[in-house]
Amino acid sequence: MYKVAVSGINAVDNPGPGVGIAKSLKEGALDVSIYGLAYDAMEPGIYMKWIFEKSFVMPYPSAGEEAFIERLLYIKSNYGLDAVIPALDAELPLFIKSSSLLESYGIKTFLPTEEQFKLRGKDHLPEIAEKIEIKVPETRIVTSYEELSKAVEELGFPVMIKGIFYEAYKAFNIAQATSYFNSIVSKWGYPVIVQQVISGEEMNLVGVGDGEGGHLGFLAIKKLWITSLGKTWTAVTVRNEKLFSLAERFVSNLKWRGAFELECMVSGNDVYLIEINPRFPAWVYFATGVGVNLPERLLKAALGLDPERDWDYPAGKLYVRFTDELITDISQFQQVVTTGEC
Amino acid sequence: MNLQRLAINDEGFIFDPETGNSYTVNKTGLFIIKLLKEGKSEEEIVKALSEKFDVSEEDARRDLVDFVEQLRLYGLLEGEDV
Repeated sequence: MYKVAVSGINAVDNPGPGVGIAKSLKEGALDVSIYGLAYDAMEPGIYMKWIFEKSFVMPYPSAGEEAFIERLLYIKSNYGLDAVIPALDAELPLFIKSSSLLESYGIKTFLPTEEQFKLRGKDHLPEIAEKIEIKVPETRIVTSYEELSKAVEELGFPVMIKGIFYEAYKAFNIAQATSYFNSIVSKWGYPVIVQQVISGEEMNLVGVGDGEGGHLGFLAIKKLWITSLGKTWTAVTVRNEKLFSLAERFVSNLKWRGAFELECMVSGNDVYLIEINPRFPAWVYFATGVGVNLPERLLKAALGLDPERDWDYPAGKLYVRFTDELITDISQFQQVVTTGEC
Repeated sequence: MNLQRLAINDEGFIFDPETGNSYTVNKTGLFIIKLLKEGKSEEEIVKALSEKFDVSEEDARRDLVDFVEQLRLYGLLEGEDV
């Protein structure tokens, strides 16, 4: 039996990928026991005992590496821990930096390198485009009003104004652009990304790179219905050769290691890469549901086992997310609050 | 022709496996799409429409041109397919 910890178990209106990852592992062939890593006693995954045998509240990654690693070692020494699948953006730098240390303690991960992680940042998209001959929207990185007005003059309206980590707005004139620029700077700081608007069909692709230029499978989808927070609620599988070819170039040229999600725009014969997420998306269970269990394949790769690589899924499969409820006792909540585990 | 890749059922539901878009068409639209997929010419389709739905060839041609224009608009037909 392998003991695996999964984070992102915040199955809320802005759902983390953790529950989808854990469900996939449960449905796989490997005998696993899954622990949830939470940052708040209210994260619903903690109470989903049919998926997460046990859950632990973690210190925030911003509190430093030492406390974080210490917590993982506590889990390892008291309950056993063979591998961790981190699923949240904010944790990744810490996990990537500490992967060798964790490995030395017998805790396996399967993550991109520090260089790959940096390169996938929104501000590095043009660099990636050049390196692997992929089309990306014309992008300018700006840190002042002067640069902003120069960028919009060069790109022409409308433009996308994006934060380095989160938020994106379409601006149709300089007043809107300036207002979005100010709002993003106040929340996320500098730099701000100014990007050409690409019209077309938005498509997303999830995959796992093997770190040697190959991959353990892809799944491409078109979102059919998103929530007001932009989260995927209904989607359909697609098979688009141009999109697959872009993804192949991405993994082979960067030798990407670990999970990733590509956000793309398909416009006629052109595919533009808009964003790279260095982790599984919240809808990753869709892949498992159509026979491509990417979380389990990633776990196998982390454990040094030989993962499957077939990914011949059909187009036209539908993904429907729904909300659900459960009833438990306050004592469970008390236990999480007082002991940090349950 | 992009039409060839479409999955079409008898009720007129159309799914494009490459883009994930879906459409519905009425009986007439379904009839035309099936003939287009078979590679029939404009003349042949006008004749078939006129016979099947008991309308003049002039009316049939006007509806066909309209419909084909819509298919182009949605990117389901390209260039001089028809």
